[in-house]
Amino acid sequence: MPATVGDFVVPGDVIADLNSLNGVTLTGPGLHSHEEHNCLLVTRAGTLCFKSPNIYWVEGLQKRYYPKKGDLVVGIVTKKAGNIMKVDIGSSELACLPLLAFEGATKKQKPDLQVGDVVYARLLSAHREMESELVCVDSYYKAGKLGPLSSDGFVMTINLNFVNRLLDFNCPLLHTLGKKYVFEVAIGMNGKVWINSHNVNDTLNLMIALLAAEQESIDNVTKVCRQLM
Amino acid sequence: MNVIDDNNLLMRKVNCKLDILSRPDGSVLLSQGDTVVIAGVYGPIEVKTQKMLINKASVETFYRPKSGTPGIGDRLYESIIQNICETSLVSALYPRSSIVVIIQEMQNYGGIISCAVNACCFALLNSGIDMKFLVASASCALDDKGVFHLDPDKLLSDKAKANFVFVFDNIAKRIIASHTSGSFNLAQYEEALELCKKACDAIFDFYKTKMKNEIANKV
Repeated sequence: MPATVGDFVVPGDVIADLNSLNGVTLTGPGLHSHEEHNCLLVTRAGTLCFKSPNIYWVEGLQKRYYPKKGDLVVGIVTKKAGNIMKVDIGSSELACLPLLAFEGATKKQKPDLQVGDVVYARLLSAHREMESELVCVDSYYKAGKLGPLSSDGFVMTINLNFVNRLLDFNCPLLHTLGKKYVFEVAIGMNGKVWINSHNVNDTLNLMIALLAAEQESIDNVTKVCRQLM
Repeated sequence: MNVIDDNNLLMRKVNCKLDILSRPDGSVLLSQGDTVVIAGVYGPIEVKTQKMLINKASVETFYRPKSGTPGIGDRLYESIIQNICETSLVSALYPRSSIVVIIQEMQNYGGIISCAVNACCFALLNSGIDMKFLVASASCALDDKGVFHLDPDKLLSDKAKANFVFVFDNIAKRIIASHTSGSFNLAQYEEALELCKKACDAIFDFYKTKMKNEIANKV
């Protein structure tokens, strides 16, 4: 029985009668091509979603981060050799970050980063056959928000599904926290979050708030935020 | 043959709890009657250079008995589960990495292989690793009088003339694995196959309802 949009699907289900634009259908995580024409095979459990005109994906649980090109991630420097650093971004292998991929870096003047430091970087390439590569500049060689993060901050790991919820434009959580506390936050698509505020007490409170919200449903979080606003 | 009517042909009660461990990417505690296992899945994670495969993920399974180190029998379970995992996973999506499945036996009161396979599939589903299809396993025993008992407990399967374990996929209910012991004829084998196939439908439904609840709460 073919699944339709909005259904709960499990691996092995087939989606037929796809909407395509000029013969092209875009598929996101959890969907793969099927032997039959105009069909897709589901490979993850979750809700089947569709965005007009031709995008399909499965919204389900994801635990381990899998690098994707263009993702903004928070990583921890774990090795340093010559001009290249190895950064732990929570995926199956360490990503490499060249020391020259920082704004204004030259062979003589390199950023001062040590093992254990935290960086906010963008994934330049993420092929499954190759080591993923990070950069801390955009295509104009400007740092923007990217680069080393202050060691005064605090790094915590949250659920990947919660990252997507936090980054949702409609999610009022960070906005509400911003009314009470003055803080900086860097949310990586890999589930690592860096928080910094004026004092340790505030940082810890923010951490507890995020951990508490992680366990709650979206509706509950929105309701609590509305009451506080 | 009706699976529901006959008392011999009833499955023991299946129960599960997802995400019981914090460190693995997917974990489940699954009980079938008094047989209980915990399964944990890590993956895709870093792999040792000797075990690295350049075209697909290497799948490693570990079966831990209640106490002591794994023996020869446990190694057999390990290899059965490993073969099943390798067939059901889309391992080509994760080259140069490994997927580790750990099964911890908690209580063994018969049908441990079936229970372990089902727990393993559940844990993989929970971890969000891509799979080609789901697998479900059911076992049955044939006693001296030629009567079939679905999902036998330890007493029944020890006394039985023959024991069968089958694993099916959820697309066309094809056989993924078949493990038998004892003496039986072809007709009895086929009858056992049909019996287990029917029982597996209930397990697929169970997977679906449990995962649906889990995802509704988390996403």
